Amino acid sequence: MALDRKIAIVNLTTGQIDIKPITLEMRKQFLGGRGMAAYLLYKNSKPGCDPLSPDNAVIFSAGILSGMPASATSRTDVMTKNPLTGLLGSGNFGGFFAAELHYAGFENICVVGKASKPVYLFVNDGEVKIMDAKNLWGKSVTEAQWAVREELGDRDVMCAVSGPAGEKLVRYANTMTGIKNANGRGGGGCTMGSKNLKMVAARGTMDIKIAHPREALEFDKRFIEQITSAKVNQTMGTLGTPFIWGATNSWGGIRTNNFQYNQLLYCDEIEPENIDEWSKESMGSEYNMAACFGCQVHCRAKYKIPDTPLARKWGLVGKYDEGPEYTSQGAFCGEPGCTHLDTLLMGNHLVDQYGVDNLEIGSLISWAMELYEAGILTSKDTDGLDLRFGNDDAVIAMIHHVCKRDTWLGNVLAEGGIRASETIGKDSFKYLIHMKGMSNLHSDERATPALALNLALASRGSDHLRSRPAIDLYHLPVDVMRRIYSSPVPYEGPLSSDHTEYIGKPWQVVWHENCYMAVDCLGICKYHTTFLGATLPNFEDWAKVLYFNTGLEMSPKDIWDVSERANMVERLFNLREGMKKDDPYKGEVLAERYFEEPCRRGAPDVIGKKIDREKFVEMRGLFYKYKGLDENGVPTAESLKKYGLENLDKEPSRV
Amino acid sequence: MADDKSTAESLRSTRTYGQVRCMNPSCEARITPAPGQTKATCPKCGSEWRIFWIKAGFPRVKGPVWETSQRLANERLAQMAAAPAAKPAPAAKAEKKEGK
Ligand code: SF4
Ligand SMILES: [Zn+2]
Repeated sequence: MALDRKIAIVNLTTGQIDIKPITLEMRKQFLGGRGMAAYLLYKNSKPGCDPLSPDNAVIFSAGILSGMPASATSRTDVMTKNPLTGLLGSGNFGGFFAAELHYAGFENICVVGKASKPVYLFVNDGEVKIMDAKNLWGKSVTEAQWAVREELGDRDVMCAVSGPAGEKLVRYANTMTGIKNANGRGGGGCTMGSKNLKMVAARGTMDIKIAHPREALEFDKRFIEQITSAKVNQTMGTLGTPFIWGATNSWGGIRTNNFQYNQLLYCDEIEPENIDEWSKESMGSEYNMAACFGCQVHCRAKYKIPDTPLARKWGLVGKYDEGPEYTSQGAFCGEPGCTHLDTLLMGNHLVDQYGVDNLEIGSLISWAMELYEAGILTSKDTDGLDLRFGNDDAVIAMIHHVCKRDTWLGNVLAEGGIRASETIGKDSFKYLIHMKGMSNLHSDERATPALALNLALASRGSDHLRSRPAIDLYHLPVDVMRRIYSSPVPYEGPLSSDHTEYIGKPWQVVWHENCYMAVDCLGICKYHTTFLGATLPNFEDWAKVLYFNTGLEMSPKDIWDVSERANMVERLFNLREGMKKDDPYKGEVLAERYFEEPCRRGAPDVIGKKIDREKFVEMRGLFYKYKGLDENGVPTAESLKKYGLENLDKEPSRV
Repeated sequence: MADDKSTAESLRSTRTYGQVRCMNPSCEARITPAPGQTKATCPKCGSEWRIFWIKAGFPRVKGPVWETSQRLANERLAQMAAAPAAKPAPAAKAEKKEGK
């Protein structure tokens, strides 16, 4: 049955591999996926270690429902101490890896130590082997996956791979799978590079026993119908995630030119409908949208790069890729102020193949552009590159330079914003839009306090996937909000259906934080939950899907408690690694420009908006209170006890 | 295990079809474009939007009518300049940069 999947602890220094069961007690405490990863990272990384040292761990953790017939049980969390921030690094990808890992008999692979030469792990039907990766090293994300399939003589091998950016130790290198599924924002690819680990390749033929097959099928049908009938998912199935960027840019919630503006004007070429049109044209009459394992939404477009002078210059005409996601629209167009489709599609292709985080690299390039225009960087620093906003060619050039570390500026930006600002000096740090050392995504939250609060509090740094109460933007009636936000635990405090308000937002952030932790533990895609649509499933539905598929009987409140516990472990990890509430580098604060510079573009009611500092501090205090934390964001002894975490530091591993 | 409707399922009846919301965040009035219509003006705040049809009966806002949104934004900025307390930070330096 599913619950017999195992954990492998691999030490690349010694070559030792320990295979252990996941006890029922652990299941009930952390479920799987991100929850299990948080526990394993806490226990297997050395406190205070250099993230690039063998003392760091990298955990590959499939969701508990992986490979089962619920909707989109496709997600894997990769967790490590983030080489970029020195705090928690965690990313989550879809694709087909999670299911294959489960079929191979495993749910978690925890890797510590460092191999003396490039290696990869082959996980196959109950076994884990350390293999020579000399033929894979240096290969792009796609090439490496095809090379290992060839080597193993099996086209169905699924991989979690580090690309050339990870090998070069770019601090925000991703772990990737498939053509473009990215374990972004966590630095897992960089940690893999530091361990000489090119990939984890999984292939399995072990059955997964569904606990209550008939009920599971019946309920899953209903569950899937609920998901696919949502307007938001029908839109995603037509236009992919670019519709999110398009909608946000429509009203002025996008950051452009490194946060100087909040709307990219006259950008029709990169609007979702135009991307869709080009995808169809470039792929021909057979065109369809692709999906991850078990997903009926199909949000992933496919395209070939158009024949334009810029694409010819960079030798990329006709190259195939998938997406682009809304994050690439922001990274290569909104942020650097570019409006051309070829720049978007090339930027997206390059980050997929180098295996680097699109948000981080796009943000840092646009930061460097502002520094260049402000005279803090000169053409001497850029090797003659005219790094002004709107220079499409410079954006593409900088992606190469960062991922190869082959120019002074490329090498500096590969170290991330805080380290780069120390090297560049002057007042470069002032222009860096980051939280906990992680560059912001490309949206502007000055008109949406709930979203701003979630960015500051997100465990992996500025982040739109750890909480993001985006249904706020639909102005739902308060009684509808109360139904959502009072389940599975009662909430009787204030709620406001105005997204520009500060009232009730701390609870919304808490609720969504637990909601997203739960899906990350279950291994379901966030687009199948209350992320963009109020009518999408959450705790009540998950209790059923979990029971019918795995036999694990947990109430919605039990799942909520798992989320609370796992979020607390992530917080404890951050506190152990130096997070302090008001620290501008590692603290739970917003970049200063949120408070100081009002929005200047967009719909009339967005203009002039900025975050009220006092109200922000008040919201953060309430969030801490709801979470059982003291005024510094540290868990109280009582809440640690409540979640059985009071001896986390001292006790031996429960695994 | 009880099989009654969850909150999410019961909220399904509140879904609206054939309408879009005005994207001006403090407005969000519902707009019902006529079938095939490619532009729609918000009856409440005057914002004007380009409309795309996902399929028949399912419109979405594609983006602003840029000229209208620029005009409304400039009017708002002018209003704010007249009330110095709410004046945004100087934009002159950055405005010039965007020559594309
Ligand atoms: S909605 Fe998109 S990202 Fe999510 S599982 Fe489906 S195809 Fe993958
Ligand atoms: Zn309106």
